[in-house]
Amino acid sequence: MMGRTIFIDPGRCIGCQACVSACRECDSHRGKSMIHLDYPDEGRSVASFPTVCMHCEDPVAPCAEVCPADAILVTADGVVQQADTTRCIGCANCVNACPFGVPKIDLQAKLQMKCNLCYDRTAYGLAPMCATVCPTGALFYGTLEELQAERPGVQVADSFTFGSTTVTTGVAMVVPADKVQWPVPGGLPVVEINGKDVR
Amino acid sequence: MHPYRGRVTEPPKTAEPAPAPGPAQGPAPGTPAAESPPRTPAAVRRRATLAGTAVSVLLILAIVFGSRLLRDFDSALLPYAVATVFLAFGVAYRYTVWISAPGARRLFKQGRRSFFSAANFRKAPTALPKMTATYLGFQKFLGARSHARWAAHQLVFWGCLLAAAITFPLTWGWFTFTSSTGSGPGYEMRIWGFKIIEFDALSVLGWLMFHGLDIAAVLVIAGAAYFLWRRMRDRGAVTGQRFAYDLVPLIALVVVSVTGLLLTFSSIFLHGGGYEFLAILHMVSVVFTLIYIPFGKFFHIVQRPAAVGMQLFKYTSRRKDGEALACRRCHEPIDTAPYVENLRGTMRDLDLGFDEWAEYCPRCKRVLRGNAYLDHVKKGF
Repeated sequence: MMGRTIFIDPGRCIGCQACVSACRECDSHRGKSMIHLDYPDEGRSVASFPTVCMHCEDPVAPCAEVCPADAILVTADGVVQQADTTRCIGCANCVNACPFGVPKIDLQAKLQMKCNLCYDRTAYGLAPMCATVCPTGALFYGTLEELQAERPGVQVADSFTFGSTTVTTGVAMVVPADKVQWPVPGGLPVVEINGKDVR
Repeated sequence: MHPYRGRVTEPPKTAEPAPAPGPAQGPAPGTPAAESPPRTPAAVRRRATLAGTAVSVLLILAIVFGSRLLRDFDSALLPYAVATVFLAFGVAYRYTVWISAPGARRLFKQGRRSFFSAANFRKAPTALPKMTATYLGFQKFLGARSHARWAAHQLVFWGCLLAAAITFPLTWGWFTFTSSTGSGPGYEMRIWGFKIIEFDALSVLGWLMFHGLDIAAVLVIAGAAYFLWRRMRDRGAVTGQRFAYDLVPLIALVVVSVTGLLLTFSSIFLHGGGYEFLAILHMVSVVFTLIYIPFGKFFHIVQRPAAVGMQLFKYTSRRKDGEALACRRCHEPIDTAPYVENLRGTMRDLDLGFDEWAEYCPRCKRVLRGNAYLDHVKKGF
């Protein structure tokens, strides 16, 4: 986990899309929102689930590892940057390899784009756009100590399982106290789709 | 209405996570081993050194024989020729290292397979020339990013191409311009000693021949100046820009072009005043730029053809298969099946043990993770 990072608490998310709108204002990808807001059980639950880039630390940035053009730079502070416009060939390897489903691609422009933790802001100590506008604190930017000072007893996890692989990330998620010893399940393996066992 | 509503009747269930946290593990047992084992860094360096040396030696031989055993070689241009030999070594070295990485190696092989496939050529003989013209020549994708950037890049691109087409053969002693009457105006141009064209230095053609580099410099200055302005004003471009990576190449292009133009200025308006100093200044800037090519932003010139290989691979595999591989959950198309298989191979090479995840679209990955959180972490959040 990075020092100052985003902490995601889906339990607080009300699905208002303020983060999606604010993300569009980020200077490094003006007009295009990079945050994802999904409704996992739409129609039956109001649960909403925000996803920013998790800035994977171990294995370090699978998106950058699979990139055939060396286009994705991981800066010394652990931030996985969006693709270098000069190098990106628009192959979509990163889009399909990312275990969290984060990068987006513009096929016309042959360019990948993703959340870069609002590098234009965080490099100057400001919070990313999404965390700045989130009305419920579902997206919190700061250190773990700052989060715990504001929300006593809160527990976070920064490792996720995908099958047999555990991915440790720079961005963390809030988890209940009894689940903190677990890596957060990443959704893989999928055992059932539409009521059908797919094991 | 949400495009996926109604398709998924039940939230897909994901497996209960193992309660024991553990460090990142290798690929699951039974995961197919990498088809070609990744090479060690030392082996890659050896191959790269070998490739660099081979290409440099070939270039030296081409210079020696192309200049008719140095008879046509202009010794005043020696530093430029030496710089191109270093450039050849650097480019071949970095190219070898680059295509040895799993992602690039696999895509390179697929691109080459598509390129040399006679069946593909028979089915779509125009595909490759069309893609080369669109991606490499006219760079249509840049237009989709910004029209101004496309226009400026075209100026820099054609300017650099024109300059390279003139100067590289000149410094290698491949081109010669000679006059049988001493000072002209009748000149003949020879390549490798063979006469190609005869022209009058005072004609329009003659003017163009002798001012090709000035024209190239004007094109490059216009394009690079726009990019420099953008790097200072555009807040998107300013975010994360690095001096050595983003600004040095532009400054180098401007310095090379301006000092080149000053040489013409000196000979026309100053009767050669300051020419020797300017010639050295120009030479130093060109040599620096040539040697910088393999290290920084300019390496994209060497990398960009990979876009054509990638596109050709996707195009031909789509033609063969008919339709794209659909997401295993929502059935929206992901990409062609051979492309996804290629990516899964890359992931296995890199010990990313979740390669089967590549058969789910990004949205389904997020939704499935949301469901897992909803089911196993914070029930009914």
